[in-house]
Amino acid sequence: MVVVGRKELTLAERLYLPEVMRGLALTFGKFFEKPITRQYPEEPLPTDEVTRGQPRLVVKDDGNIACVSCGMCEIACPAYAITIDGGETDRAIEREPKKFEIDMLRCILCGFCEEACPKDAIFMSNELELADYTRAALVYDLEKLRRPKSALQRRIDYVYKLSARWRRAK
Amino acid sequence: MDKSLLSDVPQVAIWIARVVVIFGGLVTTAALMSLAERKVSAWMQYRYGPNRVGPFGLLQPLADGLKFLFKEELIPAGANKLLFRLAPAMAAIPSMMTIAVIPIGTLVIDGDTIPLSIAPGVDLGIMYMLALGGLAVYGAILGGWASNSKYSLMGGLRASAQMISYELSLILSILVAVVLSGSLDLTKIVEAQSHGFWNVFTPFGFVAFVLFTIASFAETNRHPFDFAECEPELVGGFHTEYSAMRFALFFLGEYCAMTVMACLNVTLFLGGPSLPFLENTPWWLGIPVFLLKAAFFLFLFIWVRWTLPRFRFDQLMRLGWKVALPIALANLLVAGAWVAFTTKGG
Repeated sequence: MVVVGRKELTLAERLYLPEVMRGLALTFGKFFEKPITRQYPEEPLPTDEVTRGQPRLVVKDDGNIACVSCGMCEIACPAYAITIDGGETDRAIEREPKKFEIDMLRCILCGFCEEACPKDAIFMSNELELADYTRAALVYDLEKLRRPKSALQRRIDYVYKLSARWRRAK
Repeated sequence: MDKSLLSDVPQVAIWIARVVVIFGGLVTTAALMSLAERKVSAWMQYRYGPNRVGPFGLLQPLADGLKFLFKEELIPAGANKLLFRLAPAMAAIPSMMTIAVIPIGTLVIDGDTIPLSIAPGVDLGIMYMLALGGLAVYGAILGGWASNSKYSLMGGLRASAQMISYELSLILSILVAVVLSGSLDLTKIVEAQSHGFWNVFTPFGFVAFVLFTIASFAETNRHPFDFAECEPELVGGFHTEYSAMRFALFFLGEYCAMTVMACLNVTLFLGGPSLPFLENTPWWLGIPVFLLKAAFFLFLFIWVRWTLPRFRFDQLMRLGWKVALPIALANLLVAGAWVAFTTKGG
């Protein structure tokens, strides 16, 4: 049997008041210290290239979308969030999506689409905020998903760095 | 003969002005206290506190008040409807009424002296305060009972048990101030201290002051003695079932009671609107001095709340009956004996 002895209180402790004063002094000391709260909408969350935010489509430097609507990401998506409808173009790369929708309410930000894409067309951005008044507004279409390549460059470099490491390991 | 500035103003107008200023001040203080409570707690916990409504969140009480007004009121099934509706008013009104006898200071306008108090010089001022202060607990008990909820009932019962055990030491420590100043009239008690020698400077006055401060925490249901609304055990205590403005009334009552207790503490032991060790305090300094002292005690209420953990109920009872009461009694005896033996021709 284990008997835990109770600590014998000194007179000052049994009188409460000196200890109360000590406690008050402690909290008063904290009073003037700098708050550590993040003031969220004004001070956004810190993000870096590792941040896996919402997926976005790359627009190449010539202004055309990099996606060729092959449907790999659509198949890779475990949440069935992506819907693609492809169409023909008369450019050298002959296909582009006529419809590309990601249902942001279904998207689980897993990054499988980014891995599956053979054309470096879809990348996880650092955009994290997602709020609207209707469900329909949160099904993002081609217009809402387009991002210039420069905006996603940091993530692209990071993904390349990662895959280079895997290639070396093989 | 020169006419003074106020000689044409009817007395009634001055009375009404006094009531409006003091009562408005009390309710405003209570509202600002709800903000101060949140701000101070935030600062003590490395947070910012409310800072979205108005500059530094100063309009937060207004926003809260509006929210309370527009919220849905629920009356639980099985509640006693009349008493349920009556209880918040029973809690708030007595605590607001007690401010009437507190002498906050005097205004001197063009030679006329106006006491800044709703009812200056009531000869049973302290009795009036205690009677109404005792009434305030009915709000908690009625609210607890009428809600038809076990948590509320427990809260109400605790409120009454606590009130009985602490009212005694509260009254006994007030009596020390009465004995030292020789009057039940709060204005006279202030006058007796107005020459720079406060009641707290005597040894028994000091003990009474400490006891009064502790008892006032219990009397206003504040931490560390807030058993009537002990959240971890009783959800919200006597106001568990209350919503919207009725809930806000309980809150308002609590903060008004705190404000009045702070004012009473200043009046009884800290010389009201006078400065220490000064023969005479100029009248224009009196009111700010009084308000500053009262503000300190209001801050103390909040400060203690965010520092100490809650007592256990039996510890509270033990402290009240076995520690505070004997000390208060002995203290009163010593004070009485000292006054009896030192007063000449008594």
